Amino acid sequence: MIVVAPKPKTEPKKFKDDFWKTKDFKISIGKIVEKEGEISEEKTPMGPTPKPHVTDLRSWDMKLLGRYEPFYAPFCDMCCLCTFGKCDLLNKKGACGISSEAQQARIVLLACNIGTAAHAGHARHLVHHLIGELGEDYPLDLGLNIDIEAPITRTIIGKKPENLGDLAKTLNYVEEQLSHLLSACHTGQEGSSLDFESKALHSGVMDDLAREVGDIAQIVALNMPKGDGDAPLVEMGVGTIDNDKPVILCIGHNVVPGASIMDYLDETGQEEDFEVCGICCAAIDISRYNDRAKVVGPLSRQLKFIRSGVADVIIVDEQCIRTDVLEEAQKKNTAVIATTDKMCLGLPDMTDKEPDIIVSKLLNNEIEGALILDSEKVGEVSVKVAKILAPKREKLKLLPELDEVQKMAAECTECGWCNRVCPNSKPMMEAVVAARDGDFSGFEKLYLNDVCYSCGRCEQECERELPLMSMLAKVGEKLAKTEKFNIRAGRGPVQDVEIRRVGAPIVLGDIPGVIAIVGCSNYPDGGKEVAEMAKEFLERNYIVVATGCGAMSIGEYLDEEGKTLYEQYTGDFDARGLLNIGSCVSNAHISGACIKIANIFAKKPLEGNFEEIADYILNRVGACGIAWGAYSQKAAAIATGVNRWGIPVVVGPHGSKYRRLYLGRTDKKENWKIKDMRTGKIMDGEPAPEHLVYAAENMGEAIVMTAKLCIRPTDTGKGRQIKLNHYIDLYKRYYGRLPPDIHLFVRNEKDIPITYKKDVKEILEEVGWEPREIPQEPSLMGMDGD
Amino acid sequence: MTNERVIPWQPTVIAGPKQALLVTPETAELMIKKAKKPLFILGPLVKEDPLRTYATKIAEKWNLPVVTTADAYKPFYDKGLNPTAYGVVEIVNLLKDPEWQGVDGEGQHDLVIFMGCIYYIGSQGLSSLKHYAPHLKTLTICKFFHSNADASFPNLKDEEWFKYLEKMGETVS
Repeated sequence: MIVVAPKPKTEPKKFKDDFWKTKDFKISIGKIVEKEGEISEEKTPMGPTPKPHVTDLRSWDMKLLGRYEPFYAPFCDMCCLCTFGKCDLLNKKGACGISSEAQQARIVLLACNIGTAAHAGHARHLVHHLIGELGEDYPLDLGLNIDIEAPITRTIIGKKPENLGDLAKTLNYVEEQLSHLLSACHTGQEGSSLDFESKALHSGVMDDLAREVGDIAQIVALNMPKGDGDAPLVEMGVGTIDNDKPVILCIGHNVVPGASIMDYLDETGQEEDFEVCGICCAAIDISRYNDRAKVVGPLSRQLKFIRSGVADVIIVDEQCIRTDVLEEAQKKNTAVIATTDKMCLGLPDMTDKEPDIIVSKLLNNEIEGALILDSEKVGEVSVKVAKILAPKREKLKLLPELDEVQKMAAECTECGWCNRVCPNSKPMMEAVVAARDGDFSGFEKLYLNDVCYSCGRCEQECERELPLMSMLAKVGEKLAKTEKFNIRAGRGPVQDVEIRRVGAPIVLGDIPGVIAIVGCSNYPDGGKEVAEMAKEFLERNYIVVATGCGAMSIGEYLDEEGKTLYEQYTGDFDARGLLNIGSCVSNAHISGACIKIANIFAKKPLEGNFEEIADYILNRVGACGIAWGAYSQKAAAIATGVNRWGIPVVVGPHGSKYRRLYLGRTDKKENWKIKDMRTGKIMDGEPAPEHLVYAAENMGEAIVMTAKLCIRPTDTGKGRQIKLNHYIDLYKRYYGRLPPDIHLFVRNEKDIPITYKKDVKEILEEVGWEPREIPQEPSLMGMDGD
Repeated sequence: MTNERVIPWQPTVIAGPKQALLVTPETAELMIKKAKKPLFILGPLVKEDPLRTYATKIAEKWNLPVVTTADAYKPFYDKGLNPTAYGVVEIVNLLKDPEWQGVDGEGQHDLVIFMGCIYYIGSQGLSSLKHYAPHLKTLTICKFFHSNADASFPNLKDEEWFKYLEKMGETVS
């Protein structure tokens, strides 16, 4: 006889089942006791998912994943995570039972978790430091024009954060979720690729939340620009740095050490005597803090600039720093100071030592570098070291002479491996061979616009151990002197008043789209393409927002008059506006702006109301990200986070190495069904947006796809005409014909752009097109499965 | 033939124990002959002459339906072909679905010949088909050895590659 546990006669009460998530079910609490003795009125209605757990938004994720099925492109056939394996997953399952699809999704989840942890760790560090300085009651005041200071926090947490203490509490939630998400990556946990994806989407939104916390904290506590469209212009480029002064270079993403350096210089009246510059997001954030700080450029400048020996002291904080920075700096006798627990570089912890003792030890080479976890000491030590070291290092600021470069080039055996290991197959060998004959044009082409982004893989492979990056830096030296640009300091969030002005034209399609140029500098063909993309969309009346390395690359492009795009276009969130939002953490303000459109323009409540907001953005807000050089796990988390909000992203060809894209299928009509919330009718929709994450092979394809991905079901006839006009125009330029899928986006004859009326009608006739009904309130909510 | 010719052009794309079969133009032609529904995918690296001409001749000789990726459509259209334009990830996504009806709407393809896609994104696409499209074979006739394909030309110098391509496009009298 088989004995089984008896089933309960009645089901236990489920507090987390779908009943509580029913659409439009709102819990409103009249009076609540907040603190002892105080009674306050709680007026904000709470949506169904405040502080959602990993699975609470799963139903939304499955809607997205049903429409935008994950596309996997394994980097590796193997799973190498546990000691059951290695397991070859090619047409087989692993020893734990995992399939290739699930393994790819697990790696994506891991990547997103790493990215989210990087931002959350950074935000935690900032908030912890600032609470220590200012107290947890320090208010979050973003100025008069920003009432919705934290749209992501409000939507996810369900509460308006009032002070730094509230930000710390938000991070508690992020860290809790992250712990669950990371645990799902363990062997023998999740087995479904779609559930791994749902968790990756959740991780992405946690990343969004952590970034919002981090940037708000630094804006309010360090008095960075508060949504200022007219933020000051900051000097950028190697040519703007005065080598005659002691130079302190900050690399990474954390503003705190750099800000301390600027403070120390101000306090000691030495601000004119030093150059403080930065690479990567630290550069952007320090120049938001103090516009005398200079921006060297994006990530791609790192090795070249270190090799140039210009920096007397290098301060590293966290993320995107070359892990061989110490070794590289030592070759030039540049002092290195590590400043966070994320990157200690094996250096002795000098945090508790007196600044002068640390200075002495560094200058006398008693220590290789110093780990200093007290930012004030970092400020003092770095300035004192740079002051004494600079005059001694004058000769080290020189690269080998050109004739030496020529001599080195003569040693090349033309084995060709430098080209083969180059991530972009750039012609390094040809540049070396030409340099042997005194022709440096090959090196110059590689240097300009960071076509070679100086990863240094070629050097590691060279059988003659030629210092190819130093040779490149030397040839580029004279070009670098002319690299003088202006970038607008990162302005932070979009103001509520700006959303009020442009919410309607964006949703209706009169402004054809909001293009977010973000991400790293892992470009397939240099940074110029990024500026060209920005220019293309600016000229076409789109709003272009930018952050991080993307924002810097845009600033390195000069027109015929010698002006950058930042000097030609307004910094306002409006048609033909070019906004440097800030560093990578500031990306949160881009999804934040889309959320604000739903709230300010459409009056959708934010608190605990994720799905309705995301549904609104997906169907109505014509925004699209371009991460042309996305390389890091942070970029994976950022893209996945914005995807969950309904914002598509185009990545460059290297983005295929993330192993997963979300691609729509226009041939599957059933995937595009939509509900008209006004009538309750389920109807045929359109592939708008067609994909959620898309890897383009080259710039032309990326531009055309981006224009297409700004199309939304709610465009008015006029708005759709404008969007299709740009799509057709760009398609014709890059493909030489009208887009063959144009019929998918013409709902009725009013949608056809006047300029292309005849040609489009011909296509419509060829394919047997019929006009179709336009949903008034298109939505994925209330569909099957809800 | 040295080993170097069958190490992936970018050696780091090596994915696992299964490597592509090295083919000559003759073997590549046999694969095309044997296929019932072949498809030719041309990327942006071959949109200029002489490669455009070689690719066009191969397409014409074997009467191959052509898909172009990135912005390779116009150069091949101007050359007299009637390609369909897709992003490389879009066409790979369609090819991995056994139910997809192919570029002509008459059924999924059984052989896909790649030429001229950017190496690393091409490699990722081939990896996708290697894992998730057991219903079709992949062949690359680029100048690079693609280990993720089922069959590939070895790493070649331009001159040798051009000879290979010329051979594949020669009209049989």
